[in-house]
Amino acid sequence: MPIKSYLAHSHEGKKQELIEALSSLENCEVIPAENKDLLIVVTDTEGKIQDEILKEQIEAIDSLKLLAMVSGFNTPKNK
Amino acid sequence: MYTSLTSRRSFIKKMAVMSAMTAAASMFPGIIFASEQKEGLPEGGNLDWKKAPCRFCGVGCGVLVGIENGKAVAVKGDPNSSVNKGLCCVKGYHSVMAMYGKDRLTMPLVKKNGTYVETSMEEALDLIASKMKDTIINHGKDAVSIYGSGQWTIPDGYVASKLFKGCIGTNNVEANARLCMASAVTGFLTSFGIDEPMGCYEDIDHADVFVLWGNNMAEMHPVLFSRLLDQRLKRDVKIIDFATRTTRTSMAADKSILFKPQTDLAVANAICYEIIKNGWVNKSFVEKHCNFSKGLTNMGYGLEDNYKFTDKPEKISFEEYKSFLADYSPEKVEKISGVSAKDIKYMAAYYGDPNKKIMSLWCMGMNQHSRGTWINNLVYNIHLLTGKISTPGNSPFSLTGQPSACGTVREVGTLTHKLPHGVVMNKEHRDFAAKIWDVPVENIDPKPTYHTVEMFRALDRGDIRFMWIQVTNPMVTMPKLKRYRDGAKKEGRFIVVSDIYPTPTTDIADVILPSAMWVEREGMYGNSERRTQYFEQMVEPPGEAMSDTWQLIEVARRLGYKKQFYYKKETHIEEIYNEYRRHHDNKKHNMAPLEVLKKESGVLWPYVDGKSTQWRFNAQYDPACSNGEDFHFYGKPDGKAVIWQRPYEPAAEEPDNEYPFWLNTGRVVEHWHTGSMTRRIPVLHKAMPHSYVELNPNDAKRMQIKTGDMVKLTTRRGEIVLPAAINQRGVPAPMQVFVPFFDENMLINDITLDSFCPISKEPDYKKCAVKVEKA
Amino acid sequence: MRKRLGIISLFVILFIAFITIWSFSYQTGREEAYIPMENTSSTPVIPSETGVFRRSEFALDYSNMPIDKNHERTLKTYYKNRAYHGAPPTIPHPVKNELSMGGNTCLQCHHNGGFTEKFNAYAPVTPHPEMENCRQCHVPQHTETLFKGTNFPKITVPEVGVNNALQGSPPVIPHQIEMHENCLSCHAGPSAPKEIRVTHPERINCRQCHVLNNKETTDIGVFKRQSIQ
Repeated sequence: MPIKSYLAHSHEGKKQELIEALSSLENCEVIPAENKDLLIVVTDTEGKIQDEILKEQIEAIDSLKLLAMVSGFNTPKNK
Repeated sequence: MYTSLTSRRSFIKKMAVMSAMTAAASMFPGIIFASEQKEGLPEGGNLDWKKAPCRFCGVGCGVLVGIENGKAVAVKGDPNSSVNKGLCCVKGYHSVMAMYGKDRLTMPLVKKNGTYVETSMEEALDLIASKMKDTIINHGKDAVSIYGSGQWTIPDGYVASKLFKGCIGTNNVEANARLCMASAVTGFLTSFGIDEPMGCYEDIDHADVFVLWGNNMAEMHPVLFSRLLDQRLKRDVKIIDFATRTTRTSMAADKSILFKPQTDLAVANAICYEIIKNGWVNKSFVEKHCNFSKGLTNMGYGLEDNYKFTDKPEKISFEEYKSFLADYSPEKVEKISGVSAKDIKYMAAYYGDPNKKIMSLWCMGMNQHSRGTWINNLVYNIHLLTGKISTPGNSPFSLTGQPSACGTVREVGTLTHKLPHGVVMNKEHRDFAAKIWDVPVENIDPKPTYHTVEMFRALDRGDIRFMWIQVTNPMVTMPKLKRYRDGAKKEGRFIVVSDIYPTPTTDIADVILPSAMWVEREGMYGNSERRTQYFEQMVEPPGEAMSDTWQLIEVARRLGYKKQFYYKKETHIEEIYNEYRRHHDNKKHNMAPLEVLKKESGVLWPYVDGKSTQWRFNAQYDPACSNGEDFHFYGKPDGKAVIWQRPYEPAAEEPDNEYPFWLNTGRVVEHWHTGSMTRRIPVLHKAMPHSYVELNPNDAKRMQIKTGDMVKLTTRRGEIVLPAAINQRGVPAPMQVFVPFFDENMLINDITLDSFCPISKEPDYKKCAVKVEKA
Repeated sequence: MRKRLGIISLFVILFIAFITIWSFSYQTGREEAYIPMENTSSTPVIPSETGVFRRSEFALDYSNMPIDKNHERTLKTYYKNRAYHGAPPTIPHPVKNELSMGGNTCLQCHHNGGFTEKFNAYAPVTPHPEMENCRQCHVPQHTETLFKGTNFPKITVPEVGVNNALQGSPPVIPHQIEMHENCLSCHAGPSAPKEIRVTHPERINCRQCHVLNNKETTDIGVFKRQSIQ
């Protein structure tokens, strides 16, 4: 069950658009910075495949300029 | 385990966020992430917001109550309410917590052999009904009484009046508003012939000058005071604080003027003197719309049992009135009042300036006054002489202290002499009420019985044997309390108390009924500006708790009045309100239909042709005006308001050598009434945990008393020990002390005096003589 | 000689007369100009109450002021130069003039605040500008090192966002207010730490909604009834 955090940069002036697009995705949390065009994105998925699908979905968003992973954790499923 | 897994997951998530934030911060120094202010706040959830008037004071703010899983969990100001426009005070924001105190009464308690035993509601109601029947048989119908409240909803007061006045046939119906608003009522009736303010809160948005007569508005009516402050920011208005004590309001005011207790009478006359002397009288207004009258003087103070007083008004001429005022030149009044002639002229100049719109605001300072009716009259005099009345911004405004003192006590008429429309002494009014109530007109006794103080004296004497107390706490609020507490405990008295928490009043009860409060039931309140506001039932009352309305209906039916109390459980509030509206079915007092109340954030009566009336007696706004002039004071038969000749007279008990200080009592912003609700709200209790006695810093220094030291107060009624407060919330003038009355563990009313205004019968809680010693 | 002496003494007498008349008229002139000091304000001041309304004349400006995101103070820096919350902050910058009362130096920036190019920051506003001897409580820090270590325990500072009893209800005041009775000086304007900047400075009568939480001095518990018999 992977948890990953990313820094997401939006295209100029498209921050709000990006926030909305990201918020509409499931298993995905957005923490926007107040004063920069930068968002923190946290994904929390059930498994590897789902995680990859989600990442593809995020990268497909138009208003996204750059996505950089910061950290990744994996918790074992049954414990 | 699942729980540990989720918490671990959320921990990891936080770690992920943290590392991302750190990374971001290293890339962009000074970056800020979403609203640190919101951190730690509970989640928004799916709250259901429903509108109600606030439970507490008479301002009548509109609030929205957040409901979640059948519990009221949050409050916000109703932005649609023209009263508060979305703002509340600290009590309002925490009001819902008053429903969830741990010691909430949930079961009826009946006193058996000295201890309280839980019973069913049926059994308790049976017992009450049978006690009432026995008392009426053995001691007559005037031996049973009900003592209600300005916190009664309109239906509560209405069924109480119908039961006692219409069915049982006794005028033993009183309410605690006698202790807070009676002087305002008699002030209105003597000056205008009809109760309640002619203006409304919107006057605040138009006035240029505000004079607060003995009114610590910043603490007592904070939301309205905010509207004053708001206007000052926008329009540079002037706020003048005219008081006996320095308070938070004085700190905010543009000018603070202190006067000696009771001398407001002299100062008001001096202002009129100046207005006439300087030719500021609005001659055409006075000629067309005013009469001059004088009444009896040296009326006494009602200190003796069975005291009676009836005023004998006599018309006088303007010249006679003018020569009466000769004794009240600012220079002469300066000696009586301690207010400099300069300050008197300063106030008079504002009242006299035809280009300044002026609002006078007052509450308990003028009402709890041994000449309460007079001082109300005198302030109206100022506004009538200058014609500054009933127009937007020109408004003498009597504020109330309880959420429905106007709605229930004054409009429904739950006072001994009143009927919903008119008074018991008037045959036409009796006929009218009897018809709507469906009772024989002979039932309604044409003679008023006891006003509140006399009612408790009658209980002490044994003239009254049964008393039902609802929604109020007289064993904290009665002046000279010890006499009335001892009286209530006497053998052969049967006391029923309906309340939501144990209080000193439930301590004297034979039966305690648990009540449903505020939004645990359906009802209406009426606030200071004639605004009637409806609230629906939002949550279930705890245990067997039942609305006061339904308690009365159940007992009425047991007494055999099934025909008059025909209401159905599901729709009784609607049925009662519709029946009540019939009493006021005229242009001068029409109440809005229930559907309108449900939709709007309150509606001002008279509600005529689908519209609230904001300024009464002004033909431009009030459809009841019918004399073809600009103004019509239709409360009086000749359509004219009365300017009263009322002299200065001293208070009932003034400081002397033995008791050299004045004792003043009142409230603080955190607590409301006797604190039985607000003290159970942790935020408010922590902010103001107990009562105290305020001293002037110079007196304290001389007596070597500092904040927190215990101080003994002694009057001719008894003594009490309280901690001192110096330079805290307020500063009394030298040789005066002030004590808040909310604290049931420090009952200041044990030592106050039960003198009252002979016309309104409202006690003076603000003045008696006291000795102050370091304990 | 005698004649000369007579002339001199005449001048001396004239001079003395002039001095006498002049000083007499000077004295009376002073007396007339003296206006007896009236006790103009008979109203005492309540220390714990008076501050609330101070600076309220700026409240509308505060609420209309755009937020300068690039120069915001944070609560962290706010606490950074205080030994404990409520302690007088130390002066984090070189002082302009060692030999001066605050009225001439400190208050130039700290009375009303404003942006200072030199420090690239907004000057915090003092809640008590009437106390001019600033340096009796506020001292600069001239060294980073300690004389000896300290065991002074750092107490936890009041937090933001945890002082509401109900969702959306006004937070209580989580700190004591002595010496900072004037809410707007720290909670409004560009120098206010962003976490505690009030969204509605125009309300002015702050303490009608925000009450003190006195548990910090002693926890008084929940209200319990006492039997009065």
